[in-house]
Amino acid sequence: MATRASTVASSKWLKSLRKWYYNAAGFNKLGLMRDDTLYEDEDVKEAIRRLPENVYNDRMFRIKRALDLSMRQQILPKNQWTKYEEDKLYLQPYLKEVIRERKEREEWNKK
Amino acid sequence: RRFYSLKVAPKIKTSTVKAAVQLYPEELQLTKLPNGLVIASMENYAPASRIGLFIKAGSRYEDATNFGTSHLLRLASNLTTKGASSFKITRGTEAVGGKLSVTGTRENMAYTADCLRDDIDILMEYLLNVTTAPEFRRWEVADLQSQLKIDKEVAFQNPQTGVIENLHAVAYRNALSNPLYCPDYKIGKITPEELHYYIQNNFTSARMALVGIGVDHTILKQVAEQFLNMRGGLGMSGAKAQYYGGEIRVQNGDSLVHAAIVAEGATSGSAEANAFSILQHVLGAGPHVKRGSNVTSLLCQAVAKGTNQPFDVSAFNANYSDSGLFGIYAISQAAAAGDVIKAAYNQVKAVAQGTLSEADVTAAKQQKSLFLARSQWQQVEIWSILHSLMTYNNEAPIKEENK
Repeated sequence: MATRASTVASSKWLKSLRKWYYNAAGFNKLGLMRDDTLYEDEDVKEAIRRLPENVYNDRMFRIKRALDLSMRQQILPKNQWTKYEEDKLYLQPYLKEVIRERKEREEWNKK
Repeated sequence: RRFYSLKVAPKIKTSTVKAAVQLYPEELQLTKLPNGLVIASMENYAPASRIGLFIKAGSRYEDATNFGTSHLLRLASNLTTKGASSFKITRGTEAVGGKLSVTGTRENMAYTADCLRDDIDILMEYLLNVTTAPEFRRWEVADLQSQLKIDKEVAFQNPQTGVIENLHAVAYRNALSNPLYCPDYKIGKITPEELHYYIQNNFTSARMALVGIGVDHTILKQVAEQFLNMRGGLGMSGAKAQYYGGEIRVQNGDSLVHAAIVAEGATSGSAEANAFSILQHVLGAGPHVKRGSNVTSLLCQAVAKGTNQPFDVSAFNANYSDSGLFGIYAISQAAAAGDVIKAAYNQVKAVAQGTLSEADVTAAKQQKSLFLARSQWQQVEIWSILHSLMTYNNEAPIKEENK
């Protein structure tokens, strides 16, 4: 019981740590989600190509808005910041699939 | 027919020579499963095996909202499925030296896999994946649509394709008039949902036939029972084809005129179908000596009397499950077109009025069986099995073909 209580407590603590780090990173102040900020290497580019149209359009809008804000050296009002709970990792399923396919290709080419 | 013979070289000292064991191809084995699926296999002891899955899902089962779906489906056989990614299917087939191909006709889609006998289970897995569980991922289907255009261009380089498409478009109003190739306005607009819908409604067990050459019958049966009974029932039935007839002329700048004059023929499997097929060979269905002057063809002889320009004319015969087409196909120079067509038509009329001798008919029967035998394509065996299967009636009708 004591161990379970400690793991529960530490996972709560981990969660609050994550939340603090998310807010400290600051991209939510520009209205971005985490997957908008990923560095676009080959896999990410391919995953973006596979996004459905509405998700892609939302991503483009958020990036455009963030670029505009950074040009003006401003940030969004606090009520429009992306919240940690609302952040959706929309690109991950596509990205995982792309990486899996690439690994499969590499496996085959090794043989 | 190929056979596999074993011979052990005689030993020098003792003189025991093992006799050659000749394995002749076995008879066809047929099973019909309770869900309607028909399985046929023939063991011919060849080193390469071939499996074909034939589905009654040709272009006639499209309707006005989804022309071109069967064309895209033909091209989509290597897309990702639930069991194997597109890359794996391609590389896996390559690795065993096999071949996975799709043929689509107006009535049927035929998925064929062939490879060496020992690797047939690998290809069987891919074949089953492609036909029963394709995923049609949105980006893969979108990338494939440009292939439709290329496929169409290549096919239409042959003027015969265009003529036969138009022939069907004008002879029927629905079902068989659907084009085999995707119409231009649909290229780029076919969605994965349409493909899924087409498969759900047409790739059902009752409309499938699984044919294997060089495969064990029990294995085929097991495979069919386990994997091919996902969608039962008859699916959506296509419209009944009714022959209407009409005329269509396409002007272009070519110097050759291709003309097809056709009337309603016989449905496949009927007694008349055999008669029409013999008639086709009597009238002339291609030269028997390559690059020869086609002396034996009645049509060619008749037209040669009428003109001295180069020409080609042969009888056209098509059999579908509920209708058929029979007539003549003539290729001639633009100036001589009228004479050629008239001469050919008159010859057909003469034959129809009963000027054929018994010798002509026997000669034509001979030619027809030669045509099948000469076709180096092992696929022809499968197709002839298929035709009999599609009208399967608790007997093996293949033997009746030669009557």
